[in-house]
Amino acid sequence: MGVAIAAPELEPAPRRHWRHRVDLLPYALIAPSVAAIAGILAFPLGMLVWLSLQNYGLRELIAHEGKWVGLDNYRTILTDPLFHQVVIRTLLFTLTCVALTLVLSTLISLLLLRVRQAIRVLVASALIFVWATPVIVTVDVWQWMFDYEFGVINYLLTQLHVGNYIHHNWFDNPVQGLGVIALIVVWGAIPFVTITLFAGLLQVPGDIIDAARVDGANAWQAFWHVTVPILKPIFLIVTCLSTIWDFGVFNQIYVLLNQRPSSDYYTIAIYSYRESFGVTKYGLGATIAVIMVLILVAVTFFYVKETLKVAEVKTEAAT
Amino acid sequence: MRVRKVWLGTMVLATAIVAAACGGGTSSNAADETGTLTVWLMNGSAPSSVIDAVNSDFKAKYPKVTVNVEIQQWGDVGTKLDTGFAGSNPPDVMELGNTLVAKYAAAGALANISGKKSSFDNSGTWLQSLTDSCTVGGKLYCVPYYAGSRAIIYRKDFFESAGVQPPDSLDGLLTVGQKLMTAHSSDPNFSALYFPGKYWYAALPFIWDSGGDIATESGGKWQGSLSSSSSQQGLTTLSKLVSSLSKADKTGDEAKQDAAFAQGHIAMIIANGWEVGVITDPKAGDPKLADKLGAFPIPSSKAGQTAPVFLGGSDLGVAQKSKHQNLANAWVALLTGNKHMSEMATVGGVIPNNTSMLSLGTGLNAVFYGAAKNSKFVPNSQNWASVENANVLPDMLVKIFTKQMAIPDATKAASDKITSLLNGSS
Repeated sequence: MGVAIAAPELEPAPRRHWRHRVDLLPYALIAPSVAAIAGILAFPLGMLVWLSLQNYGLRELIAHEGKWVGLDNYRTILTDPLFHQVVIRTLLFTLTCVALTLVLSTLISLLLLRVRQAIRVLVASALIFVWATPVIVTVDVWQWMFDYEFGVINYLLTQLHVGNYIHHNWFDNPVQGLGVIALIVVWGAIPFVTITLFAGLLQVPGDIIDAARVDGANAWQAFWHVTVPILKPIFLIVTCLSTIWDFGVFNQIYVLLNQRPSSDYYTIAIYSYRESFGVTKYGLGATIAVIMVLILVAVTFFYVKETLKVAEVKTEAAT
Repeated sequence: MRVRKVWLGTMVLATAIVAAACGGGTSSNAADETGTLTVWLMNGSAPSSVIDAVNSDFKAKYPKVTVNVEIQQWGDVGTKLDTGFAGSNPPDVMELGNTLVAKYAAAGALANISGKKSSFDNSGTWLQSLTDSCTVGGKLYCVPYYAGSRAIIYRKDFFESAGVQPPDSLDGLLTVGQKLMTAHSSDPNFSALYFPGKYWYAALPFIWDSGGDIATESGGKWQGSLSSSSSQQGLTTLSKLVSSLSKADKTGDEAKQDAAFAQGHIAMIIANGWEVGVITDPKAGDPKLADKLGAFPIPSSKAGQTAPVFLGGSDLGVAQKSKHQNLANAWVALLTGNKHMSEMATVGGVIPNNTSMLSLGTGLNAVFYGAAKNSKFVPNSQNWASVENANVLPDMLVKIFTKQMAIPDATKAASDKITSLLNGSS
């Protein structure tokens, strides 16, 4: 993006009479994308905000007409103690999942650099399989594995003498249950991040690393002071994407807990769905969704800013 | 490159899913013009043989009308119904759980069929509680379909080898259960009474038997009463039974209980009459169990009496926005008519929608029919569906059984939530 914005300034200054037409060109080029984004994103988002300002229950849904209530829904939800818990839970859950995903993916992608080609193909294929399988299917399989009565995890842990896990209920205790859910989310997120980071690692020139090692840097120092700065843009973008995905986790929780998660398992997405479709308060559900978008914008703002900064530095370096 | 291919695959898959989803919608749009009737029935309500018979009788009368019967799942039925009714082309006939009708009738989703009542067979002897569930503000919004009430299904062979008889009191139930547990102590998976944590329908008899209730109404205001001392007493009894007799998942629901029962590590479950069919089904269960099964009503704390049970059931409603209301009513009249209603009872094993047919309950079914006579219902309010959809009762039971919360705290939280939901405006 930074490159595109900076492009007109690279034009030679003397051709003044062309300037006006040249300035319009980028806008003309970007117009179709802006129109598409507006249609796909801005319109539904606008509808969501509009819905959040109404009292919209089942009667209104069937009559296709809501009652305007201004900011009442926002007042209700922001003073709801359950909502506060849900927001904190969602933030902690996201933080845990993103951190685990990034650390594990970085380790796996570094490992991929070192192994033989055959092993690399094997690992990469396994990762692609994980990624290519629909979430609903994988969550169903995980559900059976963690099943209370017939689950293979309980069986294996007992056979391996880790403890007596016969009839161990993984979802009794919400902290443990959310741990299992985080595991499944991270497992599903690793392939994309690993492959992206691996692609980035291939771009790191070997001679720079070698030079660092010759200068006396150990493996960790070479990684931290050479590889990481080079990969910074990639790290930023995968962190940003992971944050967005993990913040909106829904399927894993919903399917794993038989479509009836208890309130201890509510994330913002689940809570919004419950208020909308569960207790048919569509206005309130929309309010939660709007707040969710706002929190997400606030959280990802940092990453986007950093990404733009990196892009600027690169553009400046190019000029 | 590989990454790209997967993206491509994902996009193709997503497009296919969207296309498939839209396909269903357009077919019902086009179908309306060519005279197609869309019927939503719930999974497990009518055996497919009965549906086929109704459709072929309907075809004989209306040869140019196509009937699409679509089977829905109970798990997420609230969402399905909301979105179904909200569309401008909703399904014409919908089966609704009897606890859900008030909500949809009050919201204007269902056609008022008061004037057509006499055109349905046995409308004079419809089960009172089902008729009540269809009546909102004095008007009739649906046709009673069938009822279900729960009793205890047990393994006669297990009882015999442990030397116990079906109990006639709640204390007796605990004693019998403990003897069964002792007799099977070598089996770590054995449950004398298998009770999944979220099974709130089966928890209600214990609450009602001790004099408690979910909520009470006075002067148009509802007041949650699960935290009353009588309700708490019932839940204490149940919690004791669960902790000493059940190895079922304390956070699970009853969906898998018949399959689990058929595995042979369970002596008793609280179940509907039709579940006998699932337990002995050659695919889902074990046909060899057929003559080893017995049934007895859930006993009361007062010896010799039975506990009141929840009268579940379904009604059939016609959508207010349906463009074929007459056809829809005709189809409902066939399914609930004498011929097919008696098949529902004899083949489907459910309690028929009228008292004239109660003699059809023979053998084990007689126990379930009998249980229906001492039955109660959830608060008849248009907001009850919200209590159900917010999982208030299952959540409370899970908290109690897993000992995350003490009974007084768990019931207080649930009761407050119920008070607020029942008195809510929408």
